[in-house]
Amino acid sequence: MIELLKRLLRTPQGAVGLVLVVLVFIVVLFGPLLAPRDPEAMSILARYKGPSASFLLGTDQYGRDILSRLLIGARSTVTMAVFATLAGTFAGAFIGTVSAFLGGRADEFIMRTIDAIMAIPNLLFALLIVNLLGSSSINALVAVAVAFAPGMARITRSVALAVRKQDYVSAAIARGESSRYIILREMLPNVVAPIVVETTIRVSFAVMLFATLSFLGLGAQPPATEWGLMVSEARQYMHLSAGILIWPSLAIAIVAIGFNLLGDGLRDALNPRTGG
Amino acid sequence: MTETANNTVLQVRNYSLDYLTASGAFHALKNIDLEVGAGEILGLVGESGSGKTSMAWSIMRYLPSNAREVGGDIRLRGEDLTAKSPTEVNCMRGKRISMVFQDPGTSLNPTLSLGTQLTETLRRHRGLTGKQAWSEGEAMLDRVGLKSPAEMMKRMPHEASGGEKQRVVIATAFACNPECIIFDEPTTALDVITSRQILDLFLDLQAETGVASLYISHDLALLSRTAKRVAVIRRGEIVEQGAVDAIFNAPQHDYTRQLIAAVPRPSDRLTQTRPSYQDQPLMKVENVSVHYGRKPFLSALTGRSFEHFAGNRAVSLSVQPGEILGIVGESGSGKSTLAKAMTGLNPFEGQMTFAGRTIAGLADMDRAYRKNVQMIFQHPDASLNPRQKIREILARPLKLYGEGEGSAMAQRVGDMLEQVRLPRTHADRYPHQLSGGEKQRVAIARAFASRPKLVICDEITSALDVSVQASIIELLLELHREHSTAFLFITHDLNLIRQIAHRIAVMYRGDLLEVVPAEDIISPERADYTRRLLAAVPTPAGASPAEADL
Repeated sequence: MIELLKRLLRTPQGAVGLVLVVLVFIVVLFGPLLAPRDPEAMSILARYKGPSASFLLGTDQYGRDILSRLLIGARSTVTMAVFATLAGTFAGAFIGTVSAFLGGRADEFIMRTIDAIMAIPNLLFALLIVNLLGSSSINALVAVAVAFAPGMARITRSVALAVRKQDYVSAAIARGESSRYIILREMLPNVVAPIVVETTIRVSFAVMLFATLSFLGLGAQPPATEWGLMVSEARQYMHLSAGILIWPSLAIAIVAIGFNLLGDGLRDALNPRTGG
Repeated sequence: MTETANNTVLQVRNYSLDYLTASGAFHALKNIDLEVGAGEILGLVGESGSGKTSMAWSIMRYLPSNAREVGGDIRLRGEDLTAKSPTEVNCMRGKRISMVFQDPGTSLNPTLSLGTQLTETLRRHRGLTGKQAWSEGEAMLDRVGLKSPAEMMKRMPHEASGGEKQRVVIATAFACNPECIIFDEPTTALDVITSRQILDLFLDLQAETGVASLYISHDLALLSRTAKRVAVIRRGEIVEQGAVDAIFNAPQHDYTRQLIAAVPRPSDRLTQTRPSYQDQPLMKVENVSVHYGRKPFLSALTGRSFEHFAGNRAVSLSVQPGEILGIVGESGSGKSTLAKAMTGLNPFEGQMTFAGRTIAGLADMDRAYRKNVQMIFQHPDASLNPRQKIREILARPLKLYGEGEGSAMAQRVGDMLEQVRLPRTHADRYPHQLSGGEKQRVAIARAFASRPKLVICDEITSALDVSVQASIIELLLELHREHSTAFLFITHDLNLIRQIAHRIAVMYRGDLLEVVPAEDIISPERADYTRRLLAAVPTPAGASPAEADL
């Protein structure tokens, strides 16, 4: 683990990504403690203010402190994205490994179904699910997880197919192991590295997908401090104060870039061939 | 002496090479002195990791970025190659010095036709026009013994066999009449008969062109037949260098002696046991056929006809209790397919009888059968799960067959390690922390965990160095004596199998040609293919002339 961290820090993208992600998690954990003001306290007199000593990032259309809203909103935005990605990853990885292990007709059936689902764009698919289930944060989470699972399944299957041909899997079959043991103990641990990388990169997609859903009014509902929702609300007032739009957008961008870089760094760090 | 000095084409003097790694400098080559004269073949023999390939790359001036040349020089006709600029090196490569690689499957570009790849060298170094180069290329393919060279020029690499591809690679190496050619295990990836043909071709061309050849190999038997002089390299140092006869008949260095002793010689029988052929056979295989390939899902719609590929065609053989049955054949002859059918990794048609029980399909292979029939695979790297500790790998069969629990299990795992001559502490290691030979020992321990009656060994020594191979064979035979286990020993190494097997089965393209007692394999009544196979096997180094004639 420490070895992995060292290798991660050796690449610039890994180091930058790790720093950004750690910062984001600090905000997620301690955001409410760090927030200088009540995120929902309105102030008629202090609307559309630029950055100042009392409002570090300025105020929004109701005179609420943008910094406080961002710090508190991190929890819902990032946590949701991480959980949705994890849920999608677990489902996808399991389906992919099972499909690769079974092979033959079962594999063909599972993969063609996945292909059909993948033909629908992620956002459209998530919209469909949210529309069916009704708009709420939890439903948005389910929608993103379901939208991610097919892609994860495909990636896992391609790795698992290579593992399936390894002699240690043959050895397990020849000694009469159950399918469950082979999938869980022999195959899954060996497909984990590429999945970890893919998951990290997908967290950033999830943040953006959530932001988009909230922006379209299908995710979190006002007065929630979700970042996508903040951008969406700020749109009508941006000619009055650009800060309302810029700060939450920047926050989303930082999370997306951080996870993306971390994913790139992890890919190099987890690949034994690139390490010295 | 002066004459040889004038004749020297390639000279390596006091050359040292380090690789910078995270854990400090690794000395890949230490004070190497080599000399190859015009028309001479110098054999460079060593085990994996000895630095023989590093030497080849140093001469070709193609070193990774973490390589540091610590001292010494490499001279081609007196010019110091280490001092040359990259541009000069580019001009020299392929023209004055060229290389033939181990695997023609990977050394040829799969997206270019064979002719394009051959003529590229001619156009670049001899300044020929496309047309001239093409006709010159055809002439060359003719020279390396390819039938219908004009057609071969147009083929893509996947349309040619391994032997044909290696011939093209050799033609490319000889294309510009270089002064020196490096051969890096050029026949290792090929079948016995093909590699014999390639070797003969190499010797002919070598005699004809008088090129200076550095022939790198791990195969002592093969080198003893090709090279005039041999250098033995070990851990980056040349331990011994001299004429072939001197090295093989009177080796000076311990390591050389050890290497030569490890080469399998058919005359030294290693197995003393004699199985009884009156008993009921332990395993009887009757008319077993294996077909590969599945009808594509939509083939009915596209109307494409589909044919199964036959891996085995109606193979019948039997293994007596305590017998070592060898199976030999070239790659693609169906040896491994049969092993996979017997261990339930491939569906099969036909019938097997194991210890009186009929097995007509995979469903009949119950836990008792699997416990009694174990398999050891070729590559120990691939057959041990890299994410499991040795303890977990060895404990698994015990748990599966219900033979141990808790602390007794730890004890058993330690005993198993000791049985295969590994320290008990290895239980806490991961496979990648062990050497190739150690890993194979773990795989053997795993196979013997359930005290099986039949162990199928699929080329288990072919990925190992010759001295490691000898110790693995010794271990197997010891286990054989101790537990009177029957073995099905699959290999392409005829010298080895003649040492250990009671009977030898010869397979060719999915068919079982014959099953003969090991001592009768050299009899002239054998099938035509068996005789050709035997004739192609290199005679072991230091073998007596009488034996070499067989």
